[in-house]
Amino acid sequence: MFLAIVPAFNEEKNIGSVVRDLFNRGGVDQVVVIDDGSSDNTAEEAQKAGAEVLKHRLNCGQGTALQTGHEYAKMVGADFVVHFDADGQFLSTEISEAWEYLKDSKANILFGSRFLNKKSAIPFLKRVVLIPLGRLVNYFLGAIPLTDPQAGFRILDRIALEKIQIDQPRMAHATEILVKTKKHNLKYVEYPVYVIYHRFGQNFSGGLKIIKDLLLGKFVK
Amino acid sequence: MIKVFQILFSCFVVFALLSVYKRKTEGLLGPKGLFFWVLFWLLAGVAFWWPNSTTILANSLGIGRGADLVIYVSLVIIFYLLFKLHIKLESVGRDIAKVVGKKAIEDKK
Repeated sequence: MFLAIVPAFNEEKNIGSVVRDLFNRGGVDQVVVIDDGSSDNTAEEAQKAGAEVLKHRLNCGQGTALQTGHEYAKMVGADFVVHFDADGQFLSTEISEAWEYLKDSKANILFGSRFLNKKSAIPFLKRVVLIPLGRLVNYFLGAIPLTDPQAGFRILDRIALEKIQIDQPRMAHATEILVKTKKHNLKYVEYPVYVIYHRFGQNFSGGLKIIKDLLLGKFVK
Repeated sequence: MIKVFQILFSCFVVFALLSVYKRKTEGLLGPKGLFFWVLFWLLAGVAFWWPNSTTILANSLGIGRGADLVIYVSLVIIFYLLFKLHIKLESVGRDIAKVVGKKAIEDKK
């Protein structure tokens, strides 16, 4: 079974179309939306579109939402999962071909990349400052070297799903997954994806928060 | 006047040591914490009754005045405690996140 995990926080406007797209064009068998403490109708809209909905009573962060999705995937016996954003920044049409690529390559985990042969319109500051800085931080923290250090589009097989436990509750999970991929000797591949920027996403202070979270994570038991 | 302060502070030290002992018997303080706080209050008592002791120690460390040494050590301790507190808060936050995630799964079962 191929499961799409979609963490969502106050995404009532986008979540319905994202879920429908995942079913119609993404080739997934099931979609689970983790409503991360939204105050709007995200859960209802996702349910109407046909997704299973898990509700966090509090807003805990994307990392926690993804881990809840992983636990659900293990519970329903998913063979593959795809991490997919709720704001419609990824193209669901790319999932099937990426999934085929992962299976052909016999890797455990596929990372989408904005820097291979597809060219996304990445904001200048992000492209020139934040992403190179992210690569540098990842290098020092022992992550696998990827062209895209903060890739949000991922497909994991069952082995990767079992091995990767996401402990970082907020956005630092992206680096944590790369570090754990290396730690558990998981085979990985990169695949070119488009990202459509509806909003800027992580800015400089967001990047600093990620670094702070990663450093704190070294001390938290 | 100084004597009065010394006696008052000594009472405070005794009270602090008693509360440390109470926290230990209640299981709220580990051996490392017990050692740290007993040592801390005893040293504070010694410094209050024998102020020159801080100057002697400061001079041996290349610091001019005993009061400066007390300030430097206090700053280090405060920063360390803030750091520990920050980690504790983060740890509690992560535990809450785990509980929230588990509850979401249980609600689905």
